[in-house]
Amino acid sequence: MTRNYLLALAVAVLAVRSVSAHHAFSPVYDDKRTVTIDGVVTEFRFVNPHSMMTIEVRDESGAVTRWVVEFAGRLNLSEVGWTANSIRAGEKVSVTGNPTWEKMPRLFFKRLVRPDGSELLPGAAQRDSALEAERRQRAQERDRRK
Amino acid sequence: MASRVLILLLLIVALARPSLAQGKRWIEGMWSDPPVSMIGSLCAGHCSDVALNALNELLDDPRNDSRPVQQLLQTAAARHDAYVRAHLVPELLKTYPPDPADDPSFLNCEPYAGARQMFSRHQLQVTPIGRDRLELRYGEWDQRRTVYMDGRAKPTGYTPSRLGFSVGRWDGNALVIATSGLAPGWGPDNILYSDQMQIVERYTRGEDGKTLWLTATLTDPKALREPIVLKKLWRWAPESEIAPVVDCEKPTSVHRRDGTTR
Repeated sequence: MTRNYLLALAVAVLAVRSVSAHHAFSPVYDDKRTVTIDGVVTEFRFVNPHSMMTIEVRDESGAVTRWVVEFAGRLNLSEVGWTANSIRAGEKVSVTGNPTWEKMPRLFFKRLVRPDGSELLPGAAQRDSALEAERRQRAQERDRRK
Repeated sequence: MASRVLILLLLIVALARPSLAQGKRWIEGMWSDPPVSMIGSLCAGHCSDVALNALNELLDDPRNDSRPVQQLLQTAAARHDAYVRAHLVPELLKTYPPDPADDPSFLNCEPYAGARQMFSRHQLQVTPIGRDRLELRYGEWDQRRTVYMDGRAKPTGYTPSRLGFSVGRWDGNALVIATSGLAPGWGPDNILYSDQMQIVERYTRGEDGKTLWLTATLTDPKALREPIVLKKLWRWAPESEIAPVVDCEKPTSVHRRDGTTR
């Protein structure tokens, strides 16, 4: 078990470094599937080009696997209000994301839910609502001109 | 005595020569991802007049008011894709777009090729170097380009390089940069370009003074039937910082578009 855990950890660490530095989604993540994991956050790195979180997930037998969750970069997340304290080590969270093709313990972030029901969404989701508001305003201006 | 006169003359010439930055300082400093807006979303990487016109047409039509904005952006992006495809030479079109799993930046940790780098997301930092050069530093890959502002010609026998050889000039308040001497590489829109690629970039300030537009004309007879014009938008971002790339490692496993893994 220890060997498998160490192997998974090594794979996860290597994967973090290989992807974070040079952006590639489709050769690594399957955007058609999502996976949800429940665990305890051990680290959240609010950095560019991609922010990263590690989370320990315990299975029914008690074995712990360390998962890596990849986010958009600090720049994109901060534009929609995220900070380095948006996620804290020690938090219990439920995280949903796109899994890797190779079924490594790794996700690309889609959604985080805390025990109190509050949630964090990627920058893209909050950006979309801002874009919808801009579009509505433009439509109103268009209709006023008529 | 003669040497003192010579030094004095050189000093007078140096002082009389207009500074690179005089009246053009607006471009100096840090730019980054564009404001959160529909146009910003469309042109954060790169876009075209075709895409911008398509978006405006869609927004002007009330029948589209109930469609999600992402759907409109995707439609505009599809028009852009058609524009790019229509400009590719037949040999390139046969295998276009290439499999992202073959992207040398992903596969081999190679920094972006010049024609791709100039459209890369995130930061662009413009810094004057002395009186006759500008440095363009990019957040993605932390690459730095030198742009010669003294009108010099590309050296004879210049060996094509990743970022090529760039000469710039001011056209009013627009910075115009001509680049050639590029080694073949993956360009914007995953266009596989040749060493005959030539690019003319034109940087202008947005009306609000807080945005920067790039309009670039790309010419490559081996890759493009005729020149293609691409655009990109940045936001003034003095608070932003470029993080060095220090830990790139090649992927150990890659999922290809045909479903195979290597």
